[in-house]
Amino acid sequence: MAEIYVGISGINAVDNPGPGVGVARSLHEDPDLKVHVVGLAYDTQEPGIYMDWVINKAFIMPYPSADAEAYLQRLHYIKHSYGLDVVLPCLDAELPFFTKYQHEIAALGIRTFLPTLDQFNLRGKDRLADIAEAIQVSIPPTKVVTSLAELHRAVERIGLPVMVKGAFYKAYKAYTYQEAVAHYHKLVAEWGYPVIVQGMVFGEEMNVVAVGDGQGELLGQVGIKKMWITSLGKIWTGVTIKNERMRDVTANFIRRYRWKGPLEMECMVDGDTVYLIEINPRFPAWSYFATGVGVNLPANIIRKIYQLPLPATFDYDPGKLYIRYTDELVTDMQMFQKITTQGEN
Amino acid sequence: MNRLHQLAINDEGFVFDPTTGESFTTNPTGLTILQGLRAQKSPSQIVEDLCADFEVQPEDAERDINDFIDVLRTHKLI
Repeated sequence: MAEIYVGISGINAVDNPGPGVGVARSLHEDPDLKVHVVGLAYDTQEPGIYMDWVINKAFIMPYPSADAEAYLQRLHYIKHSYGLDVVLPCLDAELPFFTKYQHEIAALGIRTFLPTLDQFNLRGKDRLADIAEAIQVSIPPTKVVTSLAELHRAVERIGLPVMVKGAFYKAYKAYTYQEAVAHYHKLVAEWGYPVIVQGMVFGEEMNVVAVGDGQGELLGQVGIKKMWITSLGKIWTGVTIKNERMRDVTANFIRRYRWKGPLEMECMVDGDTVYLIEINPRFPAWSYFATGVGVNLPANIIRKIYQLPLPATFDYDPGKLYIRYTDELVTDMQMFQKITTQGEN
Repeated sequence: MNRLHQLAINDEGFVFDPTTGESFTTNPTGLTILQGLRAQKSPSQIVEDLCADFEVQPEDAERDINDFIDVLRTHKLI
């Protein structure tokens, strides 16, 4: 088959790593796919730009939230100057743009595999209670607030400590009401209203990466437990698990909402009780873990888009270990100069 | 299914719970008790196993079994 040019963002493999490099590695590892990875970067020093054995070519992109038209034009330029058949956006901040402009992107001849805008909005933390009820899972005591008076009432009712969260991004722990107020102001300034106040629940933090096909079926899912995390809360070591209750919750969500595209389910599990904490509508940074245990989710998306055969099974073994490590790359200034001056390497 | 049967246990006493991702280590006494419980042996049969494998009196073995079962309960494995 002809080579497929796949645009991947989130190639910032730093201390808070983006998912892009892992997604790109996964695509290269599918023996039946001929994939040419096009890195979509937002900074000239994103490490993926320099990893030419993973990212074949990289382009600097405008911020999609700042100027949608400029972003579409950039995609059009890449498509015609180099080649771009599919885009797999991997960053939170890009997803509102990509879900909103799916038709415009399709009109450029570029395919995506994303939830609809309605589906995307579903996973806002202010909608978590509705989802939890629909897919029969618990959530921590939760209040959606839009004023200090509501925040005060919510903290009083739920009891300290609480988590104070933005509707889509960021979460802070508050041990006192004063801390909750400070977090509330910070979240409102950065992300706007509403703010979510959530009670603390206890148990083991477990996560699932999965892909829905848009018709209610899974294109694979892998559950993990983070064993060791960094000071930013990012996984450093982890282990695959098979928690049937959590797998059911993920499958129920994808079936119930006909979710299309990747997602990460964050849960707290206490015995048989699974608390749904958050649903991220993108690949997590540890996505390569799933590929490493035989469930190549990015490749399954490409296979689904091009109607190629899917693997016979999406099964994997529990008890497989994931260990992240750092590496260094030494190169000359040429590539840095080129991407700085020309916007592509 | 009984959680005990889902555990992955090796000969050195390393125990992995695939449902939670927790791992534990146990000594040879605990390993014998675990294997006995997984084989659905009665406490008296496990006492016999412990007395045969280790230099231990039946009353001590019985106490070890009860203590170990408490540990398993603490970890919600039974």
